[in-house]
Amino acid sequence: MTDIIVDLIITLVKIGFILAVTVGFFAPILTWVERKQSAIMQDRIGANRADIMGFRALGLFHILADALKMFTKEDFIPDGADKVMHTLSPIIALVPAIITFAVVPFGGQYTLFGKEVSLVISDLDVGLLFVFAIASLATYGYVIAGWSSNNNWSMLGSMRTASQMISYEVAMGLTIIGVLMVYGTMRLTEIGAIQENFFRWGIFLQPVGFFMFFTASIAENKRIPFDNPEAESELVAGYFTEYSGLKFGMFFMAEFIEMVTIAALITLLFFGAWHVPFLGTATLISLFDFLGATGSNIVAMLFHVGVFFAKVTFFIWVQMTIRWTLPRFRYDQIMNLGWKILLPLSLANIVVTGIIILALA
Amino acid sequence: MAYYVDRNVKMTWWEKSYLPEIIRGMYITSRHFFLNLFGFIPFLLGQKKERPIFTVYYPEQTVKYPLAYRGRPVLAVNEKGNYNCVACGLCEAACPAYCIDIIPGSNPGKQNELERWPEEFTIDMSICIFCGFCEEACPEEAIFMSDMCEFNMLDRKQMKYNKEQLAVSTEDLKDRIEFTRQMSGKWNYSSSSR
Repeated sequence: MTDIIVDLIITLVKIGFILAVTVGFFAPILTWVERKQSAIMQDRIGANRADIMGFRALGLFHILADALKMFTKEDFIPDGADKVMHTLSPIIALVPAIITFAVVPFGGQYTLFGKEVSLVISDLDVGLLFVFAIASLATYGYVIAGWSSNNNWSMLGSMRTASQMISYEVAMGLTIIGVLMVYGTMRLTEIGAIQENFFRWGIFLQPVGFFMFFTASIAENKRIPFDNPEAESELVAGYFTEYSGLKFGMFFMAEFIEMVTIAALITLLFFGAWHVPFLGTATLISLFDFLGATGSNIVAMLFHVGVFFAKVTFFIWVQMTIRWTLPRFRYDQIMNLGWKILLPLSLANIVVTGIIILALA
Repeated sequence: MAYYVDRNVKMTWWEKSYLPEIIRGMYITSRHFFLNLFGFIPFLLGQKKERPIFTVYYPEQTVKYPLAYRGRPVLAVNEKGNYNCVACGLCEAACPAYCIDIIPGSNPGKQNELERWPEEFTIDMSICIFCGFCEEACPEEAIFMSDMCEFNMLDRKQMKYNKEQLAVSTEDLKDRIEFTRQMSGKWNYSSSSR
């Protein structure tokens, strides 16, 4: 009985931690990062006007101001819109983005007070498939949003979303097969654990796969170079044209949380998860042996979580840099890239990976 | 000058593969990012500030406007404390927005005193379009466009500036007066004799 309660408490703590980090920290802070980084990259100063009692804190109060604005704005539903679907779609878009974190491990296994604690909410043995299954559910949110708004631009945006997300999911799924072949498992914790060896990092085993996965995942997230679904200059704001207030905020939050998910997955699959090169978990724990068994494990755990989120932050930075560097693709170029380049490349990647695995076996 | 963008650029194989060019572009933008992010360190060490950011925090800092800038019109007051204006009404006539309103005052024939002066000189700033025609029309170097452009009121009536509010000494207007003289010389208008 006590075991169950302890397990429950541990799981709840992990869920709370993940929610705090993604929804509570990354999603709001990224709205600030997006403005500030774009400003700094373009030799501007960026958001710094919101102040409380004269303190500006580098414009961090803009987060608060944004939240206040979104809470107090009118929640507008256009005439002729499907009210139920219009209300439901932001939720359908946001929830999968958060749920994918259920299977993303942010640390290894540690012995705390004689209990094995694995830093993942749910250690599914089909973790990677779960991520893709849930992530593709978000498509419904975007498609329904455009369809239920009773607006031509929204409709066009959602059609583009549907075609783009489906095209890139194919390439993405096939890219991942190469990773699965290399690691021989779909369990994300195991994939992370294998990468304790620096030379088994995904970037060395699947270099082409990394670039393809990164491209496809940015396309899945519908950010610039691939932001045709919301193309401001063509479709007003695409599928969320008719959204305001907190519903609009939910679409935005979904986008930012997906950025975190992408960064976490890339870290997990290609960049050694929570490991530092040439510093194994056993070595790390033995370094802090003087703190006792639990103490050294706690230090190792904090270190690994810190390393993991540092890597995640770096890949978010890379995504931001891409977003503020590259111009938007034309629609046919997106389709060409998806079907004529990424798909054959990912198939070729599978074949080459298979041949190499056979040759080495 | 018209020029045409060559839209059929022949790209090399290296450029067509796209990825290296993306990385080159990202190198450029992230170079700017890191230069700006850490650019304040030499500044803190006492060196000259070398961040390429040229944005100005507007209400706190302002840039110096160029001489040709046309802000709100002002009336020149000479060293004796008199307005240069002789209330001839040329600016009033030249004004395309009819925002100038002059009530002249005159001297009934006394020697060695001012002959004419504006009793009232009102400019409605909410109507003024800052065209500078009044400055060009003025034969007496009495009205000038200044670099003042920040004035806002809660009440429309306060937008009517009287001659005390418009007064600026010729000393402060020296550069602008010199500039207008140059411009009238260039356009071959009747250059002022003074």
